[in-house]
Amino acid sequence: MPIECLVLGAGQEVGKSCVVVTINGKKIMFDCGMHLGYVDHRRYPDFSLISKTGDFTNALSCIIITHYHQDHIGALPYFTEVCGYNGPIYMTYPTKALAPLLLEDNRKVMVDRRGEKELFSSENIAECMKKVIAVDLKQTVLVDRDLQIRAYYAGHVLGAAMFYAKVGDAAIVYTGDYNMMPERHLGAAQIDRLQLDLVITESTYAATLRDSKFAREREFLKAVHKCVASGGKVLIPTFGLGRPQELCMLLEDYWERMHLKVPIYFSAGLTIQANMYYKVLINWTSQKVKSTSTTRNAFDFKHVHSFDRSMINAAGPCVLFATPGMLNGGFSLEVFKQWAPYEQNLIILPGYCGVGTVGHGLMSAKTPTKVKVDESTQIDVRCQIHQMSFSAHTDKKGIMDLVKFLSPKHVILVHGEKPKMASLKESIESDFGIPCYYPANNETVRIPSTHYIKADASKEFLKSSLSPNFKFLQATSRADTDFILNERTEPLVRVCDDRVAEGALILQKDGQHSKIVHQNELMVMVGGENHEVQFAHCCPVRVSNELKDVALSPGENMPPVLDKQSLLHLLYTKLSNDLQDLTIQNDGDRLQIESFIVSVCLKEKCPHRIHVNPDSTSEAVNFCCVWSMGEEKLAWRVISTMKNLELKSG
Amino acid sequence: MEHLLRRNLETSENNSPQKALLQALSLISNPSTSNSTLSSISNTLILTLKTPNSNPFIHHHILRLFSLLKNPNPNLTSALRQFSSSSTRSLADTLACSNISVNDEESTSVPSTASTRSRADELACSNVNANDESTLLPSTASASSLAGARAITNADDESTYVLSATTSTRSLADARACSNADDESVFVPSTTSTRSLADAFACLLSISDSNNVNVNDVSTFLSLVFKPCVSVRHWLLLNVSRFEIRPSVLLTVLLGFTKDPYPDIRNVALIGLADLCKCVLVEDGGLIRGCYFRAVEFLFDFEDSVRCSAVRAVSACGQLIVSSTQGRSKGGWSDALFLQLCSVVRDMSVEVRVEVFNALGKIEIVSEYILLQMLYKKASSATNKMDFPGQYSEKLFRIPATSASFAFLHGLEDDFVEVRESACRALRTLAILSAEFSKEVVNLLMDALNDDSVAVRLQALDTMHHMAMFGHLKVQQERLHMFLWVLLDSHSLIRCTARKVLKLTELPSLDMFKMCVNGLIRDLELYPQDEAEVFSALFMIGQNHGKFLVSLINEVSQMIEPSSGGKLGYDNVRKASYLVLATSAPVSLKQRTCSIPPRIFSYAVTLLGRVSRSLADIVDQRTLLAYLSYCSRFTFVSASEFFKMEEQLEKGDVLLTQRREISKYHAGRKLQLKEAESSHLDFQIEHNKEINCVNIMLQVVIDIWPSLKLGLIDEVTQTRRLSLKAELGTISNNNHRGGLVFALQYIDALERLGHLWSHLVFSKEFYFHEWGKLECSLNKLDRCLRDMRYKLVGLTKEDNFLILELIIAHGILTLCNIETCANKTTLKKLHSVISCIEHICGEGSTESSNFLVEVQKSLSESNTSSCPILDNPYLLLKSLEYFTPRKVVTSRNLKYMEAELHCQGNEFQNPLPFISGLPVGVSLDITLHNISSENMLWIKMSLEEKLTQFVFLDLHETEGHDELRKFTFVAPFYQTPKANYFSLKICIVLECMSDDERLCRSRGGPKHEVAHLCEEKEVYFSVEVR
Repeated sequence: MPIECLVLGAGQEVGKSCVVVTINGKKIMFDCGMHLGYVDHRRYPDFSLISKTGDFTNALSCIIITHYHQDHIGALPYFTEVCGYNGPIYMTYPTKALAPLLLEDNRKVMVDRRGEKELFSSENIAECMKKVIAVDLKQTVLVDRDLQIRAYYAGHVLGAAMFYAKVGDAAIVYTGDYNMMPERHLGAAQIDRLQLDLVITESTYAATLRDSKFAREREFLKAVHKCVASGGKVLIPTFGLGRPQELCMLLEDYWERMHLKVPIYFSAGLTIQANMYYKVLINWTSQKVKSTSTTRNAFDFKHVHSFDRSMINAAGPCVLFATPGMLNGGFSLEVFKQWAPYEQNLIILPGYCGVGTVGHGLMSAKTPTKVKVDESTQIDVRCQIHQMSFSAHTDKKGIMDLVKFLSPKHVILVHGEKPKMASLKESIESDFGIPCYYPANNETVRIPSTHYIKADASKEFLKSSLSPNFKFLQATSRADTDFILNERTEPLVRVCDDRVAEGALILQKDGQHSKIVHQNELMVMVGGENHEVQFAHCCPVRVSNELKDVALSPGENMPPVLDKQSLLHLLYTKLSNDLQDLTIQNDGDRLQIESFIVSVCLKEKCPHRIHVNPDSTSEAVNFCCVWSMGEEKLAWRVISTMKNLELKSG
Repeated sequence: MEHLLRRNLETSENNSPQKALLQALSLISNPSTSNSTLSSISNTLILTLKTPNSNPFIHHHILRLFSLLKNPNPNLTSALRQFSSSSTRSLADTLACSNISVNDEESTSVPSTASTRSRADELACSNVNANDESTLLPSTASASSLAGARAITNADDESTYVLSATTSTRSLADARACSNADDESVFVPSTTSTRSLADAFACLLSISDSNNVNVNDVSTFLSLVFKPCVSVRHWLLLNVSRFEIRPSVLLTVLLGFTKDPYPDIRNVALIGLADLCKCVLVEDGGLIRGCYFRAVEFLFDFEDSVRCSAVRAVSACGQLIVSSTQGRSKGGWSDALFLQLCSVVRDMSVEVRVEVFNALGKIEIVSEYILLQMLYKKASSATNKMDFPGQYSEKLFRIPATSASFAFLHGLEDDFVEVRESACRALRTLAILSAEFSKEVVNLLMDALNDDSVAVRLQALDTMHHMAMFGHLKVQQERLHMFLWVLLDSHSLIRCTARKVLKLTELPSLDMFKMCVNGLIRDLELYPQDEAEVFSALFMIGQNHGKFLVSLINEVSQMIEPSSGGKLGYDNVRKASYLVLATSAPVSLKQRTCSIPPRIFSYAVTLLGRVSRSLADIVDQRTLLAYLSYCSRFTFVSASEFFKMEEQLEKGDVLLTQRREISKYHAGRKLQLKEAESSHLDFQIEHNKEINCVNIMLQVVIDIWPSLKLGLIDEVTQTRRLSLKAELGTISNNNHRGGLVFALQYIDALERLGHLWSHLVFSKEFYFHEWGKLECSLNKLDRCLRDMRYKLVGLTKEDNFLILELIIAHGILTLCNIETCANKTTLKKLHSVISCIEHICGEGSTESSNFLVEVQKSLSESNTSSCPILDNPYLLLKSLEYFTPRKVVTSRNLKYMEAELHCQGNEFQNPLPFISGLPVGVSLDITLHNISSENMLWIKMSLEEKLTQFVFLDLHETEGHDELRKFTFVAPFYQTPKANYFSLKICIVLECMSDDERLCRSRGGPKHEVAHLCEEKEVYFSVEVR
């Protein structure tokens, strides 16, 4: 049964991730995201494609959420509470803990701030979260009798996971967003080598090759240090989770090492709370944090203090993390207005800034410049601006590395931009020879899946499987043993062990069950007879003139001197001479080399004789050769020798 | 108890054997069980083993008990050792028994196969010669012929296995499997005999002292390993190194077992392969390549552990291939291996990654373009489309060269410390393969220094140190600050390694040099305990970067100057550091002039103790002091000169230590000889005794000149001179007296010269407190020479020549002594003396000496060169080397000018009266010896050193002849002080009438230098009391 992959979101775009995969009849929804760029119906995936009737609970086996970002979870309360899905939802523990916070935050932004129509309420969120089943990493969860899922660490954000799903013999991995590079506070994605039919991977940076993080960190630290050393204030507008922790750990380390005393501030609110979550969920962080956690929690920042408005204009250098990240309002913008006009200050923009935000304006600007903060105010920006591209997504190399490691049979790309996905598809197909697809939204891709047949095994077959039975194959060795690098090379010696494949698959009489038996048992099992194919050739051998007189003439009485035995003996001595590497046995009636048997043929019309030359018959004696299929080469070698022989006495 | 145990073991009841075993176990594990009990237990157990017992369960446990007997009881070891030999033997017997039973099974199995096939087997067996190693590989014409190693035990010789090379072996194996496995145990695939045999092996291994078992090894091993029992196979392959099996057989077997369907078996087979490849050299390239490509397949195994051992096996086989390949393909193979390993660098298993980097670090040849590819993610033009044999994924059988891309960056950025560390370590070898690559590696390592793990930072530094030793460490300025952070690391080991690296680092610019110096100083400021090492590092980098150092020191020299209070204040870490840095300056500028103000060196002396402690491994304190004092003495010291000196010094040093003993001995010997000689002479020429004695004495002094030169005056000559002086006192004969005086003065002069010279040359002993002494010594020599020159009447040209030479030598030494301020005068004097000598030589009769020639040469050299001799008197010092004393014979009549002076009735209690401010006359009784009226004599009267007044003594107006004049002279003293009492020092001096130096005196007095003719007399005056 093919695996069907219906892309409801994030097909050839970044936003509202939602993929519904049908494996052996089981429908799994991976992620249920919301598009932040739309306010109309396009915001949510088109759920109607899953079930015409709207009975999602029966249509879907389960929903799996990879991490708490809105484009992966944003539509979940809507889907469960409004659309009425009532089945199981799986996510990791940290995601379950953090998701309601972020959903609520997002709801507030949409409804309270922007005044949009409320699509789901706070109660909806709470209700929705009640349906969630939390899973741990590498914990195999049986959703039902056939479907098992397992979470793997994905990096990216706290609690992000890749999910492995297996129904019957078909297995897939849905990566969600992941990061192949470890960060200070989070590790790199980690997954086992699995036998997979399909990998659905994100491809946000499908065409980007990111440099090492070393350079980024170096630049960042240098900029910050330079600024605080000269007495300036550093403003780092960030989103609430992940980024500030990462940067703060970096700064903390550096502060420690450089013996700096300049205070680092976190603006109150979400970030402080998030720090708390990080502390609790320490098991989901990087190796470093985990390993040091016994002595000191890495999120207990020594140099970090909380900040309040009164400190904005306090004297002396400092570093401040403030939300939101794009300087599109809130506290970070407030501080920006105060600090931007001074040359010694520094604004660090650590990520993506949406079009139309102050941050975006700054990214392209060259100081000194003037930036319009709102309709009435314009800020004279004289401070330094430093841009950083810290991203928690993997780059092209990371995607390729993961695909190479997993080596699935098929790859589907989601969560990326179309042209870049196309180039990545090319790379995957050309480099690894793995078929790759990048369907658009609402498209379905069908891929063939592995199907295993369960079969019984006979005892004899099992026994034979247990005993080693390897053998070596040697390729014809070339004269020059020197290895030529640019040639397609097969190793000269190869080893094979056929014991497992040595059986025969038999469909039993009921037509349902099959069984593997050892080849020796096959005859008995099928109740057949053993047939052997034999080849025969009647070969004339010349007889010398000396013997001519006494040669046998067909149909006539044999002269007493040359009987069958003596002819055979003559042939035996001749062949033994010519074919010294072969062991020829002469048992009087016939000669035997392996299974090749030669005997004198006295029949007038032998069915195996090809050339019936009446003239030659008088000069030749016919020998009938019989051999089995395996010895064909040997047989023709002997026969050709015999043809060139002339039997002489003595 | 024994019997009980035995009976229990042998009964066929269900529970009693178990009970007996438990009993035995409790006895064995009880530490208080006596040795005799233990040995009886073991005897019982062995007996039980030997009796044909159908219960394999008991066999298994007995054998386990045996291993217990050996291991946990250390007190028993001695008792067991003697016992173990016998037990091993009996075990071997047991083994043999069970072996036979296995063989029986096998022999019965053969006839059960079709008769034609067994015949074919025999054929095959006779075809293949088991002793021939090459037959392990199918070398017959048949391309698909098989070489399954099948062991058929054979007791005849050691090569007890026979290889069959036909298809029928399979049937044999099948048959064996059939016969071995009874129907019930199919799913528990251990056959009883196989198990117990393996148990016996395990037991033997644990008991036997040696690591190897050699009881019918190979055959049993092979027969066991081909049994269907997987756990036994696993155990055997795991312990494969402990069996004595020919490598070629082992290799074949292990290679075969890599095809086993059980991952554990594959794993141990791979481990075995890896270990084997490390220690053997197999000549069959095909086989090794087979192993290599087989191992490569497992890099894509589903099991982490298999992949991990696959990496090891790939590395080992690959290395073996590379090492056995010659010519161009060697590099190709190495590249292929490198890329193959790089292709799995992104494995998700930590162990695999660590193993990969370990393996990468072992590779010694990698093409540069591949190395460079590692730094970039994008495929470079060189690597694009290149590929090598190997396996890129499960299905792709060529590795593109691009698979190296970013390999090491991934490693250095890894989440796991182990991987990062391993990656850092792996760079050690690779980084020195290519200059261009190493340049980039330095940057990578600089970033790795930012790592939060101490181990990684340390490893990164270690790698850098390694690179630095190979001259591949070139740091870029923009990365340098990363490195300097490490100097402030809180971990002392890291700081230490960082300094070690810094010592070897080549800094291309002054800015970087300053950054490093500042970094070190900050290190010192933060961690005072690092002082010794920081100083050492400063010294080293200063030494390596002379030019930068000089400009830096000149920049900061103001800062080093003592603060206003005149205190040096070198508690200040920064100042101290700069001083240490300055210390290294001349060392680094071997040939160039060092423009560092010399006073800085003298400041540095104040830090001597601290500095010398930190430089203990480079230079010892004495040398350092000598060197510092040296550098601080001259305003324009030429460092090159110093180093020439240094060389001499070293030479001299060696000589000194060697000679100190020898020369003393020699001098002593010579003296004894000469004395003997002289006594002999005495006997002959009685009347000329004194002269002869003096001559011999002179000869001795000249002979021991080399030791004098080394400053060895002490005991050797001391005694001689004293006796000579005493003799001088007794000699009344005027004629002889002159000669004696001359000899004495000559010896004195030579001694002083030697003393001075040795001090100057071996400046190790040139401490500051000795400067005054030297000055004094120089003055004394000067006086002595002047006396010799002017006070002796009747000197020959040779004598004059000799004296003038000595004067020149003295002049040179004076020039070299910084304390002498009258350098110009000395130089002028030197020139005049030389012209004097030239004059003498011009008259013929006397030859010029080597010494003189050298002096003239260096003087003229320094005149022509830009560097005046005053700036560099050490050029002259070199010529002093040529100085040798001349032979003197004092047989002539030398007259010595002397004077006696008396002031009648004057002593301290009875002063002469005077009136303050008015002149006073002093009546002096004067006796003069050997002074002609041509000589200009003056009476020198000095009042407390400040005021000196000369009164001319006109000899024409006196009576008497040249030999002896006696008269009374009233000398007026004009400037009596306004005091109640004063004293005058009065003596008679001789104006040295030569045309050289002229002293300009404003008031009347001698125009030339003077020589004292007598001791100074003190005359006391007092205001007249009414």
